[in-house]
Amino acid sequence: MTTATISSNSKIATRAATRRTGFIDILASEWSKLATLRATQLTLGLGFLLSVATTAIACIALGTTQDDWSPDFSPVTTSMIGVAFGVIVFTVFGVMAVSREYASGTIRLTLTATPARGRVFLAKFALVGTMLLVAGLASTISMFYAGQALLGAYGMPTASLADPDAARMVLGLGVAMPFFPLIGFAFGVLFRSTAGGITTALGLHWLPQIFGQLVSESFQENVLSLLPSNGMDTMTSGHIQHSPAFPDPMVGAVVAATWFAVIVGAAYLAFVRRDA
Amino acid sequence: MIEVNDVTKRYGETLAVDHLSFAVKPGIVTGFLGPNGAGKTTTMRMILGLDNPSSGTVTVNGRCYRDIGAPMHQIGALLDAKAANGGHTARQHLGWIARAGGIPAGRVDEVLELVGLADVAGRRLGGFSLGMYQRLGIAAALLGDPETLIFDEPVNGLDPEGIRWIRNFLQCLASEGRTILLSSHLMSEMEATADHVIVIGRGRLIANTSIAAVTQQSASNHVRVVSPRSADLVPLLERAGATVNAEDGALIVTGIEAPAIGKVAAGHGLELHELSPRRASLEAAFMELTQGSQQYQGVLSSSAA
Ligand SMILES: Nc1ncnc2c1ncn2[C@@H]1O[C@H](COP(=O)(O)OP(=O)(O)O)[C@@H](O)[C@H]1O
Ligand SMILES: [Mg+2]
Repeated sequence: MTTATISSNSKIATRAATRRTGFIDILASEWSKLATLRATQLTLGLGFLLSVATTAIACIALGTTQDDWSPDFSPVTTSMIGVAFGVIVFTVFGVMAVSREYASGTIRLTLTATPARGRVFLAKFALVGTMLLVAGLASTISMFYAGQALLGAYGMPTASLADPDAARMVLGLGVAMPFFPLIGFAFGVLFRSTAGGITTALGLHWLPQIFGQLVSESFQENVLSLLPSNGMDTMTSGHIQHSPAFPDPMVGAVVAATWFAVIVGAAYLAFVRRDA
Repeated sequence: MIEVNDVTKRYGETLAVDHLSFAVKPGIVTGFLGPNGAGKTTTMRMILGLDNPSSGTVTVNGRCYRDIGAPMHQIGALLDAKAANGGHTARQHLGWIARAGGIPAGRVDEVLELVGLADVAGRRLGGFSLGMYQRLGIAAALLGDPETLIFDEPVNGLDPEGIRWIRNFLQCLASEGRTILLSSHLMSEMEATADHVIVIGRGRLIANTSIAAVTQQSASNHVRVVSPRSADLVPLLERAGATVNAEDGALIVTGIEAPAIGKVAAGHGLELHELSPRRASLEAAFMELTQGSQQYQGVLSSSAA
Protein backbone atom coordinates (compact mmCIF):
# COMPACT_ATOMS: atom_id res chain seq x y z
CA MET A 1 0.00 0.00 0.00
CA THR A 2 1.40 3.38 -0.86
CA THR A 3 0.83 6.25 1.46
CA ALA A 4 -0.53 8.46 -1.28
CA THR A 5 -3.57 6.26 -1.75
CA ILE A 6 -5.12 7.12 1.58
CA SER A 7 -5.75 10.74 0.83
CA SER A 8 -8.58 11.14 -1.55
CA ASN A 9 -8.05 12.96 -4.76
CA SER A 10 -7.35 16.44 -3.43
CA LYS A 11 -9.98 17.96 -5.69
CA ILE A 12 -12.66 15.94 -3.99
CA ALA A 13 -11.31 16.83 -0.59
CA THR A 14 -11.28 20.56 -1.16
CA ARG A 15 -14.65 20.70 -2.85
CA ALA A 16 -16.25 18.64 -0.12
CA ALA A 17 -14.53 20.52 2.66
CA THR A 18 -16.23 23.75 1.72
CA ARG A 19 -19.64 22.18 1.97
CA ARG A 20 -21.47 22.50 5.25
CA THR A 21 -23.84 19.69 6.10
CA GLY A 22 -27.41 20.89 5.69
CA PHE A 23 -30.92 19.68 6.49
CA ILE A 24 -31.30 18.10 3.05
CA ASP A 25 -28.12 16.07 3.58
CA ILE A 26 -29.46 14.78 6.88
CA LEU A 27 -32.85 13.97 5.36
CA ALA A 28 -31.23 12.17 2.42
CA SER A 29 -28.95 10.27 4.77
CA GLU A 30 -31.82 9.21 7.01
CA TRP A 31 -33.80 8.12 3.96
CA SER A 32 -30.97 6.02 2.56
CA LYS A 33 -30.39 4.51 6.00
CA LEU A 34 -34.03 3.65 6.68
CA ALA A 35 -35.40 2.80 3.26
CA THR A 36 -32.66 0.29 2.41
CA LEU A 37 -33.42 -1.87 5.45
CA ARG A 38 -35.49 -4.94 4.78
CA ALA A 39 -37.11 -4.47 8.19
CA THR A 40 -38.53 -1.14 7.00
CA GLN A 41 -39.98 -2.60 3.83
CA LEU A 42 -41.37 -5.55 5.78
CA THR A 43 -43.05 -3.61 8.58
CA LEU A 44 -44.61 -1.00 6.34
CA GLY A 45 -45.74 -3.71 3.89
CA LEU A 46 -47.06 -5.86 6.70
CA GLY A 47 -49.00 -2.95 8.22
CA PHE A 48 -50.63 -2.30 4.88
CA LEU A 49 -51.44 -5.95 4.15
CA LEU A 50 -52.70 -6.65 7.64
CA SER A 51 -55.06 -3.65 7.52
CA VAL A 52 -56.53 -4.59 4.17
CA ALA A 53 -56.69 -8.31 4.98
CA THR A 54 -58.50 -7.65 8.27
CA THR A 55 -61.05 -5.48 6.53
CA ALA A 56 -61.50 -8.09 3.81
CA ILE A 57 -61.99 -10.91 6.31
CA ALA A 58 -64.45 -8.84 8.33
CA CYS A 59 -66.48 -7.95 5.24
CA ILE A 60 -66.53 -11.56 4.03
CA ALA A 61 -67.54 -12.78 7.47
CA LEU A 62 -70.33 -10.25 7.63
CA GLY A 63 -71.47 -10.96 4.08
CA THR A 64 -71.72 -14.70 4.62
CA THR A 65 -73.43 -14.60 8.03
CA GLN A 66 -75.78 -11.60 8.08
CA ASP A 67 -79.04 -11.42 6.19
CA ASP A 68 -80.78 -8.30 7.34
CA TRP A 69 -79.18 -4.97 8.00
CA SER A 70 -79.95 -2.66 10.83
CA PRO A 71 -80.34 0.93 9.67
CA ASP A 72 -77.18 2.04 11.51
CA PHE A 73 -74.93 -0.39 9.65
CA SER A 74 -72.12 1.73 8.26
CA PRO A 75 -70.21 0.35 5.28
CA VAL A 76 -67.53 3.03 5.86
CA THR A 77 -66.84 2.12 9.50
CA THR A 78 -66.92 -1.56 8.63
CA SER A 79 -64.30 -1.14 5.93
CA MET A 80 -62.04 0.71 8.41
CA ILE A 81 -61.86 -2.22 10.85
CA GLY A 82 -58.34 -2.99 9.67
CA VAL A 83 -56.99 0.34 10.98
CA ALA A 84 -56.80 -1.12 14.48
CA PHE A 85 -54.31 -3.74 13.30
CA GLY A 86 -52.41 -1.55 10.88
CA VAL A 87 -51.70 1.01 13.58
CA ILE A 88 -50.03 -1.61 15.78
CA VAL A 89 -47.59 -2.60 13.07
CA PHE A 90 -46.98 1.02 12.05
CA THR A 91 -46.27 1.87 15.69
CA VAL A 92 -43.67 -0.88 15.76
CA PHE A 93 -42.14 0.77 12.70
CA GLY A 94 -42.19 4.22 14.31
CA VAL A 95 -40.49 3.01 17.49
CA MET A 96 -37.91 0.89 15.69
CA ALA A 97 -36.97 3.63 13.25
CA VAL A 98 -35.11 5.17 16.17
CA SER A 99 -34.71 2.46 18.84
CA ARG A 100 -32.77 0.39 16.33
CA GLU A 101 -30.17 3.17 16.22
CA TYR A 102 -29.64 2.93 19.95
CA ALA A 103 -29.57 -0.86 19.93
CA SER A 104 -27.03 -1.04 17.11
CA GLY A 105 -25.00 1.99 18.21
CA THR A 106 -25.41 3.73 14.85
CA ILE A 107 -26.83 6.76 16.66
CA ARG A 108 -23.23 7.64 17.55
CA LEU A 109 -22.24 7.50 13.88
CA THR A 110 -25.23 9.64 12.96
CA LEU A 111 -24.39 12.29 15.53
CA THR A 112 -20.68 12.21 14.75
CA ALA A 113 -21.44 12.88 11.08
CA THR A 114 -23.98 15.61 11.89
CA PRO A 115 -23.70 16.94 15.41
CA ALA A 116 -26.56 19.46 14.86
CA ARG A 117 -28.92 17.36 16.93
CA GLY A 118 -32.05 19.47 16.60
CA ARG A 119 -31.88 19.14 12.85
CA VAL A 120 -31.19 15.42 13.04
CA PHE A 121 -34.30 14.95 15.20
CA LEU A 122 -36.46 17.02 12.88
CA ALA A 123 -35.19 15.19 9.80
CA LYS A 124 -35.87 11.80 11.36
CA PHE A 125 -39.28 12.91 12.56
CA ALA A 126 -40.27 14.40 9.20
CA LEU A 127 -39.07 11.35 7.31
CA VAL A 128 -40.73 8.77 9.55
CA GLY A 129 -43.90 10.88 9.60
CA THR A 130 -44.01 11.16 5.82
CA MET A 131 -43.42 7.46 5.30
CA LEU A 132 -46.20 6.69 7.78
CA LEU A 133 -48.53 9.19 6.17
CA VAL A 134 -48.09 7.58 2.77
CA ALA A 135 -48.48 4.10 4.25
CA GLY A 136 -51.49 5.22 6.30
CA LEU A 137 -53.38 6.82 3.40
CA ALA A 138 -52.55 3.90 1.11
CA SER A 139 -53.93 1.56 3.76
CA THR A 140 -57.20 3.36 4.52
CA ILE A 141 -58.00 4.04 0.86
CA SER A 142 -57.25 0.42 -0.07
CA MET A 143 -59.30 -0.82 2.89
CA PHE A 144 -62.17 1.36 1.81
CA TYR A 145 -62.23 0.13 -1.79
CA ALA A 146 -61.63 -3.50 -0.85
CA GLY A 147 -64.36 -3.26 1.79
CA GLN A 148 -66.91 -1.67 -0.53
CA ALA A 149 -66.17 -4.19 -3.29
CA LEU A 150 -66.67 -7.14 -0.95
CA LEU A 151 -69.75 -5.70 0.76
CA GLY A 152 -71.21 -4.96 -2.69
CA ALA A 153 -70.54 -8.50 -3.81
CA TYR A 154 -72.66 -9.78 -0.91
CA GLY A 155 -75.41 -7.33 -1.79
CA MET A 156 -74.82 -5.17 1.26
CA PRO A 157 -75.04 -1.39 1.38
CA THR A 158 -71.89 0.39 0.18
CA ALA A 159 -70.54 3.92 0.32
CA SER A 160 -68.63 6.22 -2.01
CA LEU A 161 -65.68 8.50 -1.27
CA ALA A 162 -67.68 11.28 -2.90
CA ASP A 163 -69.77 11.25 0.28
CA PRO A 164 -68.12 13.85 2.53
CA ASP A 165 -68.79 11.81 5.70
CA ALA A 166 -67.06 8.82 4.15
CA ALA A 167 -64.16 10.93 2.88
CA ARG A 168 -63.72 12.54 6.29
CA MET A 169 -63.39 9.14 7.89
CA VAL A 170 -61.25 7.42 5.27
CA LEU A 171 -58.83 10.27 4.64
CA GLY A 172 -58.99 11.39 8.26
CA LEU A 173 -57.98 7.94 9.48
CA GLY A 174 -55.23 7.80 6.87
CA VAL A 175 -53.82 11.17 7.87
CA ALA A 176 -54.23 10.28 11.54
CA MET A 177 -52.45 6.96 11.11
CA PRO A 178 -48.97 8.41 11.89
CA PHE A 179 -50.26 9.86 15.20
CA PHE A 180 -49.54 6.88 17.47
CA PRO A 181 -46.58 5.61 15.47
CA LEU A 182 -44.96 9.06 15.87
CA ILE A 183 -45.73 9.00 19.58
CA GLY A 184 -44.02 5.60 19.44
CA PHE A 185 -41.06 7.25 17.71
CA ALA A 186 -40.90 9.80 20.52
CA PHE A 187 -41.05 7.07 23.18
CA GLY A 188 -38.33 5.24 21.25
CA VAL A 189 -36.14 8.33 21.67
CA LEU A 190 -37.05 8.71 25.35
CA PHE A 191 -36.60 5.05 26.31
CA ARG A 192 -34.01 4.10 23.69
CA SER A 193 -35.63 0.71 23.72
CA THR A 194 -37.89 -1.06 21.26
CA ALA A 195 -39.91 -2.88 23.91
CA GLY A 196 -40.33 0.20 26.11
CA GLY A 197 -41.38 2.38 23.19
CA ILE A 198 -43.90 -0.07 21.78
CA THR A 199 -45.44 -0.92 25.15
CA THR A 200 -45.88 2.71 26.17
CA ALA A 201 -47.23 3.94 22.84
CA LEU A 202 -49.67 1.07 22.42
CA GLY A 203 -50.63 1.26 26.09
CA LEU A 204 -51.59 4.89 25.61
CA HIS A 205 -53.49 3.90 22.48
CA TRP A 206 -55.38 0.96 23.91
CA LEU A 207 -56.06 2.28 27.39
CA PRO A 208 -59.52 3.68 26.59
CA GLN A 209 -60.40 0.65 24.49
CA ILE A 210 -59.46 -1.68 27.33
CA PHE A 211 -61.15 0.19 30.17
CA GLY A 212 -63.61 2.33 28.25
CA GLN A 213 -66.61 0.03 28.60
CA LEU A 214 -65.91 -0.89 32.21
CA VAL A 215 -66.20 2.54 33.80
CA SER A 216 -69.06 4.94 34.41
CA GLU A 217 -70.23 7.38 31.73
CA SER A 218 -69.10 10.36 33.73
CA PHE A 219 -65.63 8.87 34.01
CA GLN A 220 -65.64 8.28 30.25
CA GLU A 221 -66.75 11.86 29.63
CA ASN A 222 -64.41 13.57 32.04
CA VAL A 223 -61.31 11.42 32.07
CA LEU A 224 -61.18 9.10 29.09
CA SER A 225 -62.14 11.85 26.68
CA LEU A 226 -58.85 13.48 27.62
CA LEU A 227 -56.84 10.52 26.37
CA PRO A 228 -55.21 10.97 22.98
CA SER A 229 -56.92 8.11 21.17
CA ASN A 230 -60.38 9.42 22.01
CA GLY A 231 -59.37 12.89 20.93
CA MET A 232 -58.21 11.43 17.63
CA ASP A 233 -61.26 9.20 17.16
CA THR A 234 -63.57 12.15 17.71
CA MET A 235 -62.12 13.91 14.71
CA THR A 236 -62.07 10.93 12.38
CA SER A 237 -65.17 8.97 13.33
CA GLY A 238 -67.11 11.00 15.93
CA HIS A 239 -69.54 12.07 13.21
CA ILE A 240 -70.47 8.45 12.49
CA GLN A 241 -69.99 6.67 15.81
CA HIS A 242 -71.01 8.22 19.09
CA SER A 243 -69.47 7.62 22.46
CA PRO A 244 -69.57 9.45 25.77
CA ALA A 245 -65.79 9.37 25.71
CA PHE A 246 -65.69 11.50 22.56
CA PRO A 247 -65.47 15.19 23.24
CA ASP A 248 -66.44 17.89 20.79
CA PRO A 249 -64.24 17.62 17.64
CA MET A 250 -62.46 20.88 18.43
CA VAL A 251 -61.78 19.76 21.98
CA GLY A 252 -60.70 16.40 20.57
CA ALA A 253 -58.21 18.15 18.32
CA VAL A 254 -56.79 20.17 21.20
CA VAL A 255 -56.55 17.07 23.41
CA ALA A 256 -54.76 15.05 20.75
CA ALA A 257 -52.44 17.91 19.75
CA THR A 258 -51.49 18.59 23.37
CA TRP A 259 -50.51 14.98 24.02
CA PHE A 260 -48.58 14.89 20.79
CA ALA A 261 -46.75 18.15 21.41
CA VAL A 262 -45.81 17.28 24.97
CA ILE A 263 -44.47 13.81 24.17
CA VAL A 264 -42.68 14.79 20.97
CA GLY A 265 -41.34 17.95 22.63
CA ALA A 266 -39.95 15.90 25.50
CA ALA A 267 -38.31 13.55 23.00
CA TYR A 268 -36.78 16.51 21.15
CA LEU A 269 -35.28 17.95 24.31
CA ALA A 270 -33.97 14.55 25.40
CA PHE A 271 -32.44 13.95 21.99
CA VAL A 272 -30.70 17.32 21.94
CA ARG A 273 -29.46 17.31 25.52
CA ARG A 274 -28.79 13.79 26.66
CA ASP A 275 -25.53 11.91 26.17
CA ALA A 276 -25.75 9.80 23.03
CA MET B 1 -5.60 19.85 17.45
CA ILE B 2 -7.68 18.34 20.24
CA GLU B 3 -7.72 20.11 23.58
CA VAL B 4 -9.20 18.72 26.75
CA ASN B 5 -9.41 21.40 29.43
CA ASP B 6 -10.06 20.43 33.03
CA VAL B 7 -12.81 18.01 32.08
CA THR B 8 -14.84 16.06 34.59
CA LYS B 9 -17.52 13.56 33.65
CA ARG B 10 -19.88 11.88 36.07
CA TYR B 11 -22.43 9.21 35.28
CA GLY B 12 -24.57 9.35 38.38
CA GLU B 13 -22.31 8.11 41.16
CA THR B 14 -19.51 7.06 38.81
CA LEU B 15 -16.70 9.53 38.30
CA ALA B 16 -15.54 8.50 34.83
CA VAL B 17 -13.20 11.42 34.09
CA ASP B 18 -11.70 13.58 36.83
CA HIS B 19 -10.27 17.04 36.05
CA LEU B 20 -8.46 15.79 32.98
CA SER B 21 -6.42 18.17 30.81
CA PHE B 22 -4.25 17.42 27.81
CA ALA B 23 -3.67 18.48 24.23
CA VAL B 24 -3.13 16.09 21.35
CA LYS B 25 -0.22 17.42 19.34
CA PRO B 26 -0.65 17.66 15.58
CA GLY B 27 1.20 15.43 13.14
CA ILE B 28 2.13 12.63 15.52
CA VAL B 29 0.63 9.47 16.95
CA THR B 30 -0.43 9.90 20.55
CA GLY B 31 -1.13 6.81 22.57
CA PHE B 32 -4.00 7.10 25.04
CA LEU B 33 -3.29 4.57 27.68
CA GLY B 34 -5.12 3.34 30.72
CA PRO B 35 -6.64 0.20 32.20
CA ASN B 36 -10.21 -0.79 31.43
CA GLY B 37 -12.57 1.69 33.03
CA ALA B 38 -9.95 4.47 33.16
CA GLY B 39 -12.14 6.80 31.11
CA LYS B 40 -10.59 6.56 27.64
CA THR B 41 -13.82 5.88 25.76
CA THR B 42 -15.68 8.50 27.78
CA THR B 43 -13.03 11.09 26.92
CA MET B 44 -13.26 10.20 23.23
CA ARG B 45 -17.04 10.45 23.32
CA MET B 46 -16.69 13.93 24.79
CA ILE B 47 -14.20 14.91 22.07
CA LEU B 48 -16.87 13.92 19.51
CA GLY B 49 -19.62 15.84 21.26
CA LEU B 50 -21.53 12.65 21.99
CA ASP B 51 -21.36 13.01 25.77
CA ASN B 52 -21.42 16.35 27.54
CA PRO B 53 -18.69 17.02 30.11
CA SER B 54 -20.05 17.62 33.62
CA SER B 55 -17.53 20.46 33.74
CA GLY B 56 -14.65 21.68 31.61
CA THR B 57 -14.41 21.99 27.83
CA VAL B 58 -13.23 19.89 24.93
CA THR B 59 -12.36 21.46 21.59
CA VAL B 60 -11.30 20.22 18.16
CA ASN B 61 -9.31 22.79 16.20
CA GLY B 62 -10.45 25.40 18.68
CA ARG B 63 -14.17 24.68 18.48
CA CYS B 64 -16.65 22.47 20.25
CA TYR B 65 -17.37 19.47 18.05
CA ARG B 66 -21.07 20.31 17.94
CA ASP B 67 -20.31 23.72 16.45
CA ILE B 68 -18.29 22.37 13.53
CA GLY B 69 -20.28 22.62 10.29
CA ALA B 70 -18.79 19.62 8.49
CA PRO B 71 -16.83 17.77 11.18
CA MET B 72 -16.04 14.65 9.14
CA HIS B 73 -13.57 16.70 7.12
CA GLN B 74 -11.66 17.66 10.26
CA ILE B 75 -11.78 14.60 12.43
CA GLY B 76 -12.59 10.95 11.81
CA ALA B 77 -13.33 8.47 14.56
CA LEU B 78 -13.64 4.79 15.17
CA LEU B 79 -15.20 4.13 18.56
CA ASP B 80 -17.30 1.01 18.23
CA ALA B 81 -16.64 -0.89 15.02
CA LYS B 82 -19.75 -3.03 15.42
CA ALA B 83 -22.05 -0.02 15.39
CA ALA B 84 -23.87 -0.80 12.14
CA ASN B 85 -27.09 -2.25 10.80
CA GLY B 86 -26.47 -5.90 9.96
CA GLY B 87 -28.99 -5.60 7.12
CA HIS B 88 -26.98 -2.97 5.27
CA THR B 89 -24.26 -3.76 2.80
CA ALA B 90 -20.84 -2.20 3.36
CA ARG B 91 -21.56 0.29 0.58
CA GLN B 92 -25.00 1.20 1.94
CA HIS B 93 -23.55 1.66 5.42
CA LEU B 94 -20.82 4.03 4.30
CA GLY B 95 -23.28 5.63 1.89
CA TRP B 96 -25.60 6.99 4.54
CA ILE B 97 -22.70 8.17 6.68
CA ALA B 98 -21.14 9.97 3.71
CA ARG B 99 -24.47 11.59 2.85
CA ALA B 100 -24.88 12.82 6.43
CA GLY B 101 -21.39 14.30 6.32
CA GLY B 102 -21.95 16.05 2.99
CA ILE B 103 -19.35 13.85 1.31
CA PRO B 104 -19.63 12.91 -2.39
CA ALA B 105 -20.88 9.34 -2.95
CA GLY B 106 -17.80 8.51 -5.05
CA ARG B 107 -15.65 8.64 -1.94
CA VAL B 108 -17.38 5.51 -0.55
CA ASP B 109 -15.83 3.16 -3.09
CA GLU B 110 -12.52 4.95 -2.68
CA VAL B 111 -12.32 4.23 1.06
CA LEU B 112 -13.61 0.67 0.60
CA GLU B 113 -10.71 0.16 -1.77
CA LEU B 114 -8.27 1.67 0.72
CA VAL B 115 -9.18 -0.70 3.52
CA GLY B 116 -9.37 -3.71 1.24
CA LEU B 117 -13.13 -4.21 1.39
CA ALA B 118 -13.89 -3.42 -2.27
CA ASP B 119 -14.64 -7.09 -2.97
CA VAL B 120 -17.28 -7.31 -0.28
CA ALA B 121 -18.80 -3.86 -0.84
CA GLY B 122 -22.14 -5.40 -1.77
CA ARG B 123 -22.26 -7.91 1.07
CA ARG B 124 -24.47 -7.57 4.12
CA LEU B 125 -22.64 -6.60 7.29
CA GLY B 126 -24.40 -9.34 9.24
CA GLY B 127 -21.85 -11.80 7.90
CA PHE B 128 -18.78 -9.66 8.60
CA SER B 129 -16.02 -10.75 10.99
CA LEU B 130 -14.73 -8.41 13.68
CA GLY B 131 -11.66 -7.69 11.57
CA MET B 132 -13.86 -6.67 8.64
CA TYR B 133 -15.93 -4.44 10.93
CA GLN B 134 -12.72 -2.75 12.09
CA ARG B 135 -11.70 -2.06 8.51
CA LEU B 136 -15.18 -0.75 7.78
CA GLY B 137 -14.95 1.53 10.82
CA ILE B 138 -11.61 2.87 9.61
CA ALA B 139 -13.11 3.40 6.17
CA ALA B 140 -15.92 5.44 7.75
CA ALA B 141 -13.40 7.54 9.69
CA LEU B 142 -11.52 8.26 6.45
CA LEU B 143 -14.59 9.32 4.44
CA GLY B 144 -13.95 13.03 4.97
CA ASP B 145 -10.17 12.59 4.52
CA PRO B 146 -9.66 14.27 7.91
CA GLU B 147 -6.40 15.55 9.30
CA THR B 148 -7.13 14.13 12.73
CA LEU B 149 -8.16 10.57 13.53
CA ILE B 150 -9.16 8.96 16.78
CA PHE B 151 -9.32 5.21 17.27
CA ASP B 152 -10.62 3.53 20.40
CA GLU B 153 -8.84 0.23 21.01
CA PRO B 154 -8.83 -0.70 17.33
CA VAL B 155 -7.01 -4.00 17.78
CA ASN B 156 -9.10 -5.27 20.67
CA GLY B 157 -10.27 -8.81 20.02
CA LEU B 158 -8.56 -9.13 16.64
CA ASP B 159 -6.53 -12.12 15.52
CA PRO B 160 -2.77 -11.60 14.87
CA GLU B 161 -3.38 -11.10 11.16
CA GLY B 162 -5.98 -8.40 11.85
CA ILE B 163 -3.72 -6.73 14.40
CA ARG B 164 -0.84 -6.64 11.92
CA TRP B 165 -3.07 -5.11 9.26
CA ILE B 166 -4.35 -2.37 11.57
CA ARG B 167 -0.84 -1.55 12.80
CA ASN B 168 0.49 -1.23 9.28
CA PHE B 169 -2.45 0.86 8.22
CA LEU B 170 -2.06 3.19 11.20
CA GLN B 171 1.63 3.58 10.48
CA CYS B 172 0.72 4.42 6.92
CA LEU B 173 -1.74 7.09 8.09
CA ALA B 174 0.83 8.43 10.53
CA SER B 175 3.48 8.69 7.83
CA GLU B 176 1.17 11.06 5.96
CA GLY B 177 1.53 13.43 8.88
CA ARG B 178 -1.95 12.93 10.27
CA THR B 179 -2.73 13.52 13.92
CA ILE B 180 -3.73 10.26 15.53
CA LEU B 181 -5.08 9.57 18.99
CA LEU B 182 -4.99 5.86 19.62
CA SER B 183 -6.29 4.33 22.82
CA SER B 184 -5.26 1.06 24.37
CA HIS B 185 -5.22 -0.66 27.70
CA LEU B 186 -1.98 -2.42 26.72
CA MET B 187 1.30 -0.59 27.14
CA SER B 188 2.96 -2.93 24.69
CA GLU B 189 0.65 -1.63 21.95
CA MET B 190 2.24 1.78 22.21
CA GLU B 191 5.89 0.87 21.90
CA ALA B 192 5.69 0.23 18.17
CA THR B 193 3.13 2.84 17.15
CA ALA B 194 3.08 5.93 19.31
CA ASP B 195 5.44 8.91 19.52
CA HIS B 196 3.80 10.32 22.58
CA VAL B 197 1.67 8.86 25.35
CA ILE B 198 -1.02 10.18 27.59
CA VAL B 199 -1.64 7.83 30.48
CA ILE B 200 -4.78 8.03 32.58
CA GLY B 201 -6.06 6.02 35.51
CA ARG B 202 -9.45 6.38 37.21
CA GLY B 203 -10.16 9.36 35.02
CA ARG B 204 -7.03 11.27 36.04
CA LEU B 205 -3.92 12.19 34.12
CA ILE B 206 -0.92 10.13 35.20
CA ALA B 207 1.63 10.95 32.52
CA ASN B 208 1.81 12.99 29.33
CA THR B 209 5.20 12.54 27.70
CA SER B 210 7.05 11.46 24.60
CA ILE B 211 7.99 7.80 24.32
CA ALA B 212 11.62 8.68 23.65
CA ALA B 213 11.86 10.78 26.80
CA VAL B 214 10.43 8.02 28.93
CA THR B 215 12.81 5.34 27.79
CA GLN B 216 15.87 7.59 27.56
CA GLN B 217 15.51 8.90 31.08
CA SER B 218 14.82 5.58 32.61
CA ALA B 219 17.14 4.50 35.42
CA SER B 220 16.86 0.98 34.14
CA ASN B 221 18.83 1.92 31.03
CA HIS B 222 22.23 0.29 31.43
CA VAL B 223 25.22 -1.06 29.59
CA ARG B 224 26.15 -4.68 29.82
CA VAL B 225 29.90 -5.21 29.90
CA VAL B 226 31.81 -8.50 29.81
CA SER B 227 35.55 -8.40 30.30
CA PRO B 228 38.14 -10.95 31.44
CA ARG B 229 39.68 -8.04 33.41
CA SER B 230 36.51 -6.91 35.22
CA ALA B 231 38.29 -6.68 38.56
CA ASP B 232 40.56 -3.98 37.08
CA LEU B 233 37.79 -2.33 35.12
CA VAL B 234 35.29 -1.77 37.95
CA PRO B 235 37.30 0.82 39.95
CA LEU B 236 38.15 2.69 36.74
CA LEU B 237 34.48 2.90 35.74
CA GLU B 238 33.46 3.96 39.21
CA ARG B 239 36.04 6.72 39.10
CA ALA B 240 34.44 7.84 35.79
CA GLY B 241 31.10 8.23 37.59
CA ALA B 242 29.43 4.90 36.93
CA THR B 243 27.56 2.58 39.21
CA VAL B 244 28.53 -1.00 38.62
CA ASN B 245 26.83 -4.22 39.63
CA ALA B 246 27.94 -7.72 38.82
CA GLU B 247 25.45 -10.09 37.29
CA ASP B 248 26.38 -13.67 36.33
CA GLY B 249 29.74 -12.96 34.79
CA ALA B 250 28.76 -9.56 33.35
CA LEU B 251 28.92 -6.01 34.68
CA ILE B 252 25.73 -3.97 34.69
CA VAL B 253 26.87 -0.37 34.30
CA THR B 254 24.62 2.63 34.81
CA GLY B 255 25.44 6.32 34.93
CA ILE B 256 27.73 6.47 31.89
CA GLU B 257 27.14 5.55 28.26
CA ALA B 258 28.77 2.80 26.21
CA PRO B 259 31.30 5.01 24.32
CA ALA B 260 32.67 6.35 27.60
CA ILE B 261 33.07 2.79 28.92
CA GLY B 262 34.88 1.75 25.74
CA LYS B 263 37.21 4.71 26.06
CA VAL B 264 38.09 3.90 29.67
CA ALA B 265 38.78 0.28 28.74
CA ALA B 266 40.87 1.17 25.69
CA GLY B 267 42.81 3.83 27.63
CA HIS B 268 43.96 1.13 30.08
CA GLY B 269 44.44 -1.61 27.53
CA LEU B 270 41.63 -3.72 29.01
CA GLU B 271 40.08 -6.30 26.73
CA LEU B 272 36.24 -6.25 26.31
CA HIS B 273 34.13 -9.20 25.12
CA GLU B 274 30.81 -7.44 25.24
CA LEU B 275 29.68 -3.82 25.41
CA SER B 276 25.94 -3.56 24.86
CA PRO B 277 23.62 -0.70 25.77
CA ARG B 278 20.23 -1.89 27.03
CA ARG B 279 17.20 0.36 26.84
CA ALA B 280 14.49 -0.10 29.41
CA SER B 281 11.26 -1.47 27.95
CA LEU B 282 8.49 1.08 27.79
CA GLU B 283 6.70 -0.89 30.40
CA ALA B 284 9.61 -0.85 32.84
CA ALA B 285 10.26 2.82 32.16
CA PHE B 286 6.70 3.72 32.95
CA MET B 287 6.77 1.68 36.09
CA GLU B 288 9.55 3.96 37.37
CA LEU B 289 8.00 7.12 36.07
CA THR B 290 4.78 6.55 37.89
CA GLN B 291 6.08 4.75 40.93
CA GLY B 292 3.79 5.22 43.86
CA SER B 293 0.86 6.25 41.72
CA GLN B 294 -1.93 4.05 42.91
CA GLN B 295 -3.85 4.28 39.66
CA TYR B 296 -0.87 3.37 37.63
CA GLN B 297 -0.49 0.04 39.36
CA GLY B 298 -3.82 -0.76 37.78
CA VAL B 299 -2.39 -0.02 34.35
CA LEU B 300 0.37 -2.48 34.93
CA SER B 301 -1.70 -5.27 36.35
CA SER B 302 -4.23 -5.02 33.56
CA SER B 303 -1.61 -4.88 30.85
CA ALA B 304 0.02 -7.96 32.32
CA ALA B 305 -3.29 -9.80 32.24
N1 LIG C 1 -22.90 5.63 29.82
C1 LIG C 1 -22.35 5.32 31.02
N2 LIG C 1 -23.12 5.26 32.11
C2 LIG C 1 -22.60 4.98 33.32
N3 LIG C 1 -21.30 4.73 33.53
C3 LIG C 1 -20.47 4.78 32.49
C4 LIG C 1 -20.95 5.07 31.17
N4 LIG C 1 -19.90 5.05 30.33
C5 LIG C 1 -18.82 4.76 31.07
N5 LIG C 1 -19.15 4.59 32.36
C6 LIG C 1 -18.21 4.31 33.46
O1 LIG C 1 -17.19 5.25 33.42
C7 LIG C 1 -15.93 4.68 33.68
C8 LIG C 1 -14.99 4.89 32.51
O2 LIG C 1 -15.41 4.08 31.43
P1 LIG C 1 -14.74 4.12 30.00
O3 LIG C 1 -14.60 5.52 29.55
O4 LIG C 1 -15.53 3.20 29.13
O5 LIG C 1 -13.30 3.51 30.30
P2 LIG C 1 -12.23 2.89 29.28
O6 LIG C 1 -12.66 3.21 27.89
O7 LIG C 1 -10.96 3.53 29.66
O8 LIG C 1 -12.22 1.42 29.54
C9 LIG C 1 -16.21 3.21 33.97
O9 LIG C 1 -16.32 3.06 35.36
C10 LIG C 1 -17.53 2.96 33.32
O10 LIG C 1 -18.22 1.95 33.97
MG1 LIG D 1 -13.06 1.82 26.36
